[in-house]
Amino acid sequence: MREWGEIMKDRIGISFLGFGFLGLMITLYLGLMWAPSVAIDAFESPAAQRIFYWHVPSAWAAFIAFTVLFIGSALWFFKRSPAGWRLHVAGAEAGLATGLMTVLSGTIWGSAEWGTPWDWSDVRLNTFGLLTLLALFLVLGRRSQPDGIETRDTFSTFGLFGFVLVPFTYIATRIWVIRHPGPVVATGSDGSLQSDMALVLFIGAISFTIFIIGHILTSMHITKLEQRVELLQSEIDRSA
Amino acid sequence: MNMSDVLLAFESVEIRRGMSVVVSDFSLTISQGEVVVLHGENGCGKSTIIEAAARILPIEKGQVLHHQKVVIDSEGRRNAPTVPFGLTLQQNGMVGSDTIAEHLNNMMSICKIKTNIAPILKQYSLDHRSNDLIAHLSGGQQRKVAVITGLLPAMTSKSARLVFLDEPDAGLDDDAIQTLCQHITSLRLAGHSFLIATHDERILKCATRINDLNQDTEQKPPLGEVWQMPEIEDAKSNNFIQVGFTYNSKTKAGFANNGIAGFLTLGILLSLVEPFELDKLPSLKMGFVLLPAFIAGLCGDPVVNLLRENRALDWWQANTTTPRAVIMPIVGGAILTIISSYIFLEHLEAIVVVAGSLSTLFCSLIIGFLQLATNKLSRPQAVFIRLLTPILILPWSIVVNELTAYI
Repeated sequence: MREWGEIMKDRIGISFLGFGFLGLMITLYLGLMWAPSVAIDAFESPAAQRIFYWHVPSAWAAFIAFTVLFIGSALWFFKRSPAGWRLHVAGAEAGLATGLMTVLSGTIWGSAEWGTPWDWSDVRLNTFGLLTLLALFLVLGRRSQPDGIETRDTFSTFGLFGFVLVPFTYIATRIWVIRHPGPVVATGSDGSLQSDMALVLFIGAISFTIFIIGHILTSMHITKLEQRVELLQSEIDRSA
Repeated sequence: MNMSDVLLAFESVEIRRGMSVVVSDFSLTISQGEVVVLHGENGCGKSTIIEAAARILPIEKGQVLHHQKVVIDSEGRRNAPTVPFGLTLQQNGMVGSDTIAEHLNNMMSICKIKTNIAPILKQYSLDHRSNDLIAHLSGGQQRKVAVITGLLPAMTSKSARLVFLDEPDAGLDDDAIQTLCQHITSLRLAGHSFLIATHDERILKCATRINDLNQDTEQKPPLGEVWQMPEIEDAKSNNFIQVGFTYNSKTKAGFANNGIAGFLTLGILLSLVEPFELDKLPSLKMGFVLLPAFIAGLCGDPVVNLLRENRALDWWQANTTTPRAVIMPIVGGAILTIISSYIFLEHLEAIVVVAGSLSTLFCSLIIGFLQLATNKLSRPQAVFIRLLTPILILPWSIVVNELTAYI
């Protein structure tokens, strides 16, 4: 019989996922229906600007996920920590999900605003795209290989390398602004956002953060169960 | 035992394969003139130990020393051995497009010597096949070549050498095994040392010690004649660029792997537009000029692809550094850019040709590096490493923009 505390621990991730998802839906509603419109001359396609309430929080969550990926990779690579490997797996999956959300919403906005979904000469777009592809590589690659030291070492190395791109992507907007707009938060100035806009953005960031924590906890739990199944299978193999 | 005589030392080594610890707290020293045979049931870790000794497998704990110098340790250090060693893997580690002579010349080049290999080949009934491609030999003949390759550093050296043989008897006929046993004995008497994994009783008899991975059992090996070293000349070792160039020029792998993709791109571009239609779009024109060379580079390093056959890449990495294609991408990228310049620009600009050439080199080296980084995985071909290559489009598009001024 499992302890009540253990059952709650298992369910905490799912609870976070549920609350986060609810927050995402509220963000979507507020962003599309409630938030004030931007000035008609502010953008080429002012209506498309509303996707920003999804795009910015998902990019924020992606950076959290990539940070988790880095910590997990480092813990595995330097300490051989099984929990570190679970963090690596969870960070890669969460990074892929939020990275794809960011890239897809960005390309939709780019199509409306710039007339092209992607700019191959924009440093920030490309480094963020690479981060998302790195997460895809880690998720697909891990599933293509049997679990083992070589597999974990190789993917952890790539996870560590990927984190170099995180600060690079952030500063890229400040140094090489080609097409991607500059930062709207933490700019050091008075800020260009109206309070209602900032509120929706804040709700979005909190919701995505809760959602990503839920995803990471659930993914770590699933990986732990997978490892347990593998161990039990080996024991059955040995006793057969 | 004099420490200066120790040629190989495992110090409290732990090695994992997959998630299981295959070898734990393993220590072993092999001195000059010793033949240690690893003996045990399948899966007990014999090949794992040989591959760790040859620096192919990483180790979790402890360290391995060749000639009292650390060659691999648990901190991830992987130092090139100062003295060449012989290595025969379970898979032969040879490229089918090499002839026997070329493959043995590679080994001699690593040892920085040159000798007439015909007498050695004759002892294994291979002298008439010296100039045949390895791919054209039978399985047993290929195994003989792999065994000779492993023995060659010891056969051609006055000073003591280490030889690692993993199941050398697999696929050999009785005569060849008898010759191998004679060679092991005579090379041992000349001071060379062996670490062998085998189940063959005849090779077991050649051992001075039999190790079951837990304990050593000493035994008296047979007597024999001391190895008579053939005449050798000093030679220069080929570097990774020269070996890569030789592989490339012999197999035309660069053309097959990269060149065809470049020419196909050129053909596709020509099917889309007439060159004069691009006159009003200079950046697009420059993109068309540089695209074939870029695509050729994205196909990766042809030599790395070639060496994936029969674990040849592992064999090269154990013995020295991995050969890489450097000359071919430079030349191939330049040729493709010259042709596309004539088609789309109708004149040649030296800087554009240099940019095309370097884009092929840069891309093929980066992708080759990514391929090598994932080579230790169980299924390196199934790992989606090319998902990371779109980032190369960024520097390429910047180069295209910068060079548009030259139209």
